[in-house]
Amino acid sequence: MPKRGCLGCSFPLIIGVLLVLLALFVVGFAAGPLGKSMLGDLGLPSWLSVPRPDPKLPAEVVFHIFGFPITNSIVAAWITIIFLVGFSYVVTRRMKLIPGRLQAAFEFLIGWLYDLCCSVAGEKNGRRFFPVVTTIFLFVGFNAWLALLPGFGSITIHTINGEAELFRAANTDINMPLALALTSFVFVEFFGLRSLGIRYLSKFLNFGAFISGVKLVFKGKVKDSIFGLFTGVITIFTGLLEGLSEFIRIVSLTFRLFGNMTAGEILLLVAAFLIPWLFALPFYGLELLIGFIQAIIFGGLTLIFLTLAVQSHEEEAH
Amino acid sequence: MSRWGAALRFIGVGWFIGISILLGVVGGLWLDNKFGTKPILVIVGLILGLIVAFYGVYRMLLPLMRGK
Repeated sequence: MPKRGCLGCSFPLIIGVLLVLLALFVVGFAAGPLGKSMLGDLGLPSWLSVPRPDPKLPAEVVFHIFGFPITNSIVAAWITIIFLVGFSYVVTRRMKLIPGRLQAAFEFLIGWLYDLCCSVAGEKNGRRFFPVVTTIFLFVGFNAWLALLPGFGSITIHTINGEAELFRAANTDINMPLALALTSFVFVEFFGLRSLGIRYLSKFLNFGAFISGVKLVFKGKVKDSIFGLFTGVITIFTGLLEGLSEFIRIVSLTFRLFGNMTAGEILLLVAAFLIPWLFALPFYGLELLIGFIQAIIFGGLTLIFLTLAVQSHEEEAH
Repeated sequence: MSRWGAALRFIGVGWFIGISILLGVVGGLWLDNKFGTKPILVIVGLILGLIVAFYGVYRMLLPLMRGK
């Protein structure tokens, strides 16, 4: 006779777990400030509630190395780097033809990113862009997920300026997204210059049409020269717009990542403060998803910009 | 054009519009306060920001419009 149940557990167990969760939720609601304002103070012990969150926008300095201030977000970024390097070493140390579970998972992730690069940028360029895009993806994603580990933000340390958190998600410090966006910008310009050479700059400084218009003036063709000068001015203007939009990309990449991550952090803190314990759980799921999505967006937009940069104007026109 | 390429382009467009208009207006305000030409440079910045926004969106979505 097959065992009846749900998710591999028997019904009494499921009902028991649900009851415990419901009890936790009710106790959290009664102990939190939301319940207190609705139900009045029920005299519950103070350890049931969460202290009022105090989010700070600039990262706090934890310690100094040779007079160089090290903030808590730098520490978190270092941990991410150490984790990624160590993890990659462990996975690739003994590669097998028939992969184990860990190797298979990592191969799936890398293979998926590789297919993404190739499908957007084409086979040849996809191979070249893959390391940049994957590094950005893994760094942003693991940074976001590292900050969701329980207890990550609650370890405090004594500093000169008082109590400070030892770790803080690196993406919530605006310097980290800015640094990533600048890295992405540098790679875009590098690949553009490398594959198109000096022609890449003609996207931004396009005087060719204007000069040919000036030449027409000297030839004495009035109607053609006016038209030529007009299109020349237009192409110079669009070139300037092109250059301007390169810089706006940096700002928009920076603020997208910073805004999403900081908002998520504050959302979790406020949710845990208003109704302690169980209420923050769905938001944890949401933040897991958002961390992954932001990683895809940052890596993928870098990939799109790289693809745009290596296309020449002549190719685009057709 | 893969599905991912199309999706990522659409994602990138929204913030690009917002940031370019915002930068234009904020830059215009800053220059206005510096030179004391109160409304003119804000309007110039706003128009410039709008033009950059539309041009950037056009460039990013051009491959999709051609149906490649």
